[in-house]
Amino acid sequence: MDVLNVDYMLGLVPVLLRYLPLTLQLAGIGMALALILACLFAVVRVLRIPVLNQLTILFISFFRGTPLLVQLFLFYYGLPQLVSALTVIDGITATIMGLTMHFSAYMAESIRAAIVGVDRSQTEAALSIGMTNGQLMRRIVLPQATRVALPTLMNYFIDMIKATSLAFTLGVTELMGATQKEASGSFLYFEAFIVAAIIYWIVVELLSKVQHYLEIRLNKAYSR
Amino acid sequence: MKTLLATMLMIVSLFASAPLLAQDNPLRVGMSGQYFPFTFVEQDQLKGFDVDIMNALAKEMGREIKYETANFSGLFGMLESGRIDTVANQITITEERQKAYIFSDPYVYDGAQVVVKKGNTEIQGVEDLKGKTVAVNLGSNFEDLLRELPYADEIDIKTYDSNLERDTALGRVDAFVMDRVSASQIIKEKPLPLALAGPTFSQITNAYPFRDTEAGRALRDEVNQALATLRDNGTLASISEKWFGTDITQP
Repeated sequence: MDVLNVDYMLGLVPVLLRYLPLTLQLAGIGMALALILACLFAVVRVLRIPVLNQLTILFISFFRGTPLLVQLFLFYYGLPQLVSALTVIDGITATIMGLTMHFSAYMAESIRAAIVGVDRSQTEAALSIGMTNGQLMRRIVLPQATRVALPTLMNYFIDMIKATSLAFTLGVTELMGATQKEASGSFLYFEAFIVAAIIYWIVVELLSKVQHYLEIRLNKAYSR
Repeated sequence: MKTLLATMLMIVSLFASAPLLAQDNPLRVGMSGQYFPFTFVEQDQLKGFDVDIMNALAKEMGREIKYETANFSGLFGMLESGRIDTVANQITITEERQKAYIFSDPYVYDGAQVVVKKGNTEIQGVEDLKGKTVAVNLGSNFEDLLRELPYADEIDIKTYDSNLERDTALGRVDAFVMDRVSASQIIKEKPLPLALAGPTFSQITNAYPFRDTEAGRALRDEVNQALATLRDNGTLASISEKWFGTDITQP
């Protein structure tokens, strides 16, 4: 075990890459849904819509206050025990549900902070020319809040990609699951996990590039 | 906001979902894929003694087979919730499990074995585990075996989902407990400095668990019939010879 088995590592790359689409799929769908949910939560919280506001606070509290793995187990193993028809929730669905709810709770708070961060004078100006609350949010507040929230949201997306590695506990073989199984067949742990680590790393680096590009685009309107 | 959403949706749409192949009523078998040499993966190929036996059984029964791999600790949960029909992962028949599931006839006879890092002469058997740190697979029967020992509270039991062999070789734990044939095979074939410590300390028999329902019972009977056929025509013995060099399918 003194020398790295490079041949084994190279042979593993194409095998593990086959599982990358699933990892990205889980995170991509999870992120899209979490964004929608988080925006709704944030708006509810900012406008203090009665009842919904209290429910949202409760939801955020629960999903921020419990580990993601516990939530995944709840959806996947727990719910079918209460309602047996819920076995239709397969591992992939349960993972996406877990990622969506868990991360939307976090994202809601950072979007809310970004919204609240838009200067009040703008809100007053918009309302004084007769905009509705919806118009105010859509046209004035959210475009500016997006710019502020983007780096944080991208961080959550990167986190989510890495969190997909928990899916193997629900029987979904994604990148990490595939790596674990290969490693336990060959007992070459270092080789297997370093290949997986490099794949994750490259993906996250590419995403950082996307973030940079988006930031430039969103800042155009504000550059002087 | 729009830009962000559009970008995200674009990323998502790049990965169109893989179509799920509709199969008519395949046998859904759960395994960890992380228990050499019973179930493991090489170059994306699921291999092992349990895989070969299951494939032979399925062929005998004329059934399609669909393997679901998950961490060992999740397998019984999947069986319970009806996501798989049985578990092929060297499952030991225990009283505890018999309360919850029905078992097929045994197809492996084996023993529990203490394994240590090579050169550790301090531990010569299960009675030397007092005051030591011992690794077992989470939710495995070996965990129960250790906890049933009269001096269990003097053993620091660490549970793992996988990789306990590595941790023992690294000296993070003093020993691990596993079945004898797997341990012997790992020592023989893999580059880990491990050694068997003493004789086996508990006989174990392995079988396939099923849900205790009408469908589960019917399936168990079907599997038992196929097992008997494969036992009689020597298939079980030859698969065992291939993996272990001995026949572990006979008492």
